[in-house]
Amino acid sequence: MALRAAVLRHVRVPVQTLNPALTLTGGKWAPPSLRWMSSHGDDHLTKSEVTDRVLSVVKSFPKVDPSTVTPDVNFQKDLGLDSLDNVEIVIALEEEFKLEIPDLEAVRIDSANLAIEYIYNHPMAS
Amino acid sequence: MGPSSAPRRLSGMQKQVLSLYRGFLRAARTKSAEDRQRIESLVSIEFRRNAKEVDRKNFLYVEYLLRRGKKQLDQLRSPDIVGLSATNVSFSQTKDPTH
Repeated sequence: MALRAAVLRHVRVPVQTLNPALTLTGGKWAPPSLRWMSSHGDDHLTKSEVTDRVLSVVKSFPKVDPSTVTPDVNFQKDLGLDSLDNVEIVIALEEEFKLEIPDLEAVRIDSANLAIEYIYNHPMAS
Repeated sequence: MGPSSAPRRLSGMQKQVLSLYRGFLRAARTKSAEDRQRIESLVSIEFRRNAKEVDRKNFLYVEYLLRRGKKQLDQLRSPDIVGLSATNVSFSQTKDPTH
């Protein structure tokens, strides 16, 4: 937690100096064009990259018919998965993007879109 | 079985089960590829079987399974444990799906 806080603090500084206007929008869910939390380097993932990789993780899930997977699918309602499958998908996403999603967030991620949003806004995703 | 079509509101107990499952999968990730595969399939089978067979309102029994699972997870987290084969014995006691 301390590390995370330190990293976040660190990440924010250059953004504020580079582009002060961005901080006005402040909020965690700023529109994609104002990626204040993630513009710390060009190594960060683009939204389409995140989308592609999230979808390919979901498509490669054994119980999923790849042709039915779109960014809008809800894992349980649309893909017929159960809550345990949902956990497995989130774990697979953690591995793909080399991050650890805390329980509280992990239970909320029940659709491809939510996964994409979460990962895209995660400063450590790679 | 959880009703997957109904709007999902997880009970505290369901959250605990899912969190335990997540814990097992994370712990499995730290093992060798072969052990990991074995652990994952064993854990998945066990959770799914209990999800089907255990009455969701049998809180005492679910609590018991949660406690047992947490203990097993703690053991699995230790670096020299490479599998759950020892726990298989107790798993198999409940294997008879007659009720």
